[in-house]
Amino acid sequence: MFDPVSAHLEHYMNLLSTRQKLVASNIANLDTPGYRTRDIDFHFEFMSKMDAAENGQIVDPPTILEAGGLLVKNDGNDVSLDQQMRLLSETAIRFNVASTLLKGQMQSLRAAITEGGK
Amino acid sequence: MSVSATGMSAQRTRAELLVENLANSDTTRTPEGGPYRRKDAVFSSADVTSPFGSIFQNELGVGVQVSDIQVDQREPDKRFMPGHPDADAEGYVAIPRMNPAEDMVDLITASRGYQANIAAMTAVKDMITRSIDLLK
Repeated sequence: MFDPVSAHLEHYMNLLSTRQKLVASNIANLDTPGYRTRDIDFHFEFMSKMDAAENGQIVDPPTILEAGGLLVKNDGNDVSLDQQMRLLSETAIRFNVASTLLKGQMQSLRAAITEGGK
Repeated sequence: MSVSATGMSAQRTRAELLVENLANSDTTRTPEGGPYRRKDAVFSSADVTSPFGSIFQNELGVGVQVSDIQVDQREPDKRFMPGHPDADAEGYVAIPRMNPAEDMVDLITASRGYQANIAAMTAVKDMITRSIDLLK
């Protein structure tokens, strides 16, 4: 990307979309016997790969973990619908913020291009 | 989004079976012979295959599929109705062993699961739209 802020935002949005995919698959497997909730360690993934993202290197895909510590139902499934719905909207809102910010970055870049030509 | 779609179709299959159970709660005659037997869907995880699956990383989302439809094998209830055309020699009619409350609860759960999948799909769709908006 063009500047460190955009690079960080891109990295952040990539992680958010990974998390959203996992949440969607957790919700789809709400009633699957033996299914365990899957998630990523967001903070760790974001902080540890920040430098690579900033330097424009290819960032390793995040490690998918089993969430753990959740109440396991009789059928061996531990998906908590309430928790997953919260995570779903939280991720969507975070993505919204990040995309608005990135759009602002893009707009200032565009302004520099168009206004500079005048 | 295809992951949510598999979730929706699985929940729909389950809801259809439950409605079939409720509709047949008093059916004493079936093509297989004997009274109606309660059916329920068994879910299992399944990888979502897409035409581009090999190109894009696709191992993230795990979908769901209906792996089996279980038919209740318990003995049917017997009710004393000598005038009934399906009554046996002693005048007892075999009627399905069914608990409407159980089916109704499962039906509500299936419907909530369906709604949750729609919410997930909408959220993912909004994120994609947002990303497209960046190009404008």
